[in-house]
Amino acid sequence: MKQLLLTFGMLLAACLAPTFAADTSSESKTAAKPPVTAASPQVQVVTSMGNFTIELNAERAPLTVANFLAYVDQGHYTNTLFHRAVANFVIQGGGFNVDYTPKPAPAKVVNESGNGLSNVRGTVGLARTQDPHGGNAQFYVNMNDNAALDPNQTRWGYAVFGRVISGMDVVDRIGNVATGSHGPIKEETPLKPVIIQRIERVPSS
Amino acid sequence: MAALFISDLHIDASRPAIIEQFLRFLQAEARRAAALYILGDLFESWIGDDAPDAAQAAAIAGLRALTASGVPCFVMHGNRDFLLSGQFCEMSGAQLLPDPLIVTLYGEPVLVMHGDALCTDDRAYQRLRATVRDADWQRQFLALSVDARRALAGAARAGSQAHTAAMENAITDVNDDSVAMALRAAGTSTLLHGHTHRPAIHALEVDGRPRTRIVLGDWYDQGSVLRWDNNGPELQSLSRRREPGS
Repeated sequence: MKQLLLTFGMLLAACLAPTFAADTSSESKTAAKPPVTAASPQVQVVTSMGNFTIELNAERAPLTVANFLAYVDQGHYTNTLFHRAVANFVIQGGGFNVDYTPKPAPAKVVNESGNGLSNVRGTVGLARTQDPHGGNAQFYVNMNDNAALDPNQTRWGYAVFGRVISGMDVVDRIGNVATGSHGPIKEETPLKPVIIQRIERVPSS
Repeated sequence: MAALFISDLHIDASRPAIIEQFLRFLQAEARRAAALYILGDLFESWIGDDAPDAAQAAAIAGLRALTASGVPCFVMHGNRDFLLSGQFCEMSGAQLLPDPLIVTLYGEPVLVMHGDALCTDDRAYQRLRATVRDADWQRQFLALSVDARRALAGAARAGSQAHTAAMENAITDVNDDSVAMALRAAGTSTLLHGHTHRPAIHALEVDGRPRTRIVLGDWYDQGSVLRWDNNGPELQSLSRRREPGS
């Protein structure tokens, strides 16, 4: 028994691997929300599962909002997909045509994730490639408080540029559809396509 | 279809993020693979096939679903889970592989090892390896009750904590001469192993012939997988951060 214990002790000591750093990020439930002002433009997202309205924060994310509105005004989002739906994380769309071909979106925007807006539930952010400044037309809606998407001292985050002010129930429905592999997308894509029929400006009253 | 190689997951109840990522990997990418090879240290510790804890049982259930879907899964012993045996195979549907082994991948014979046997600069470890891989030692250990084995493992862990700080990053790298000997004996151009937690594809020369040594990464901070298909091997890390990437 003693020999076994010794051997086991040596074994554990000899092949001890680096200790695991647990992910202990605590997510803030009280992140700043943009103030509602008449100057905050609004858009309506018309989808095959219902509509929701986004209020854009041009004050905190001026470049991202200008870029997004340029795509809205070009009709870029007409007949695109919410191609990714992950319950308790995000829904993401605006980058693929309904036939799943990528929709060209050449205009990129400088990363504005350092604007103080946190990726809390209901906020809208700009998706991007690994390039921090690679975001163009694809956007996402946070279904949860996703503080991991906020910037920190060592990496760029994902820029929040608006928030859903009505129709969050529609977002929740989209985020909870059955997903899997469909078309060229291998996972987390709705099995029955969720179509963005158009995004249009809401006239300011 | 690709053959997938992973190693050094060190699955343990204290590391839920690794378990979650591994289960996701089994349900998604691994389902489309020609085969999944796990080259050692799937588990952080293994005191016998009769005593999986909840975290280990979850991993085994994930493997079971994969093998039941028709994807063959092969598991090699590591220096942590060298007691994996027949009952584990029955539960998971996986097959145990001998170490070393030559696997033919798309026409190319590849020498496959966990890698600890190549770390010959660490003589104390090699003596220990010989001891714990000895059939008599294993019989004696497995004859103890589950509680006694758990207690032994726990006591050994507690006893070794004094060494912990010094040993944390002390996984010795492979010895070049041992690598050359292994490649020479196998007669292959390529060696694939894990264990050292130093993922890379190295070009080297043995006996005037160009050779390749591929090292799999561990899963502590991200997943690490080698995909091998018609186009050859590709080493990739799997991000654990979920991001709205476009």
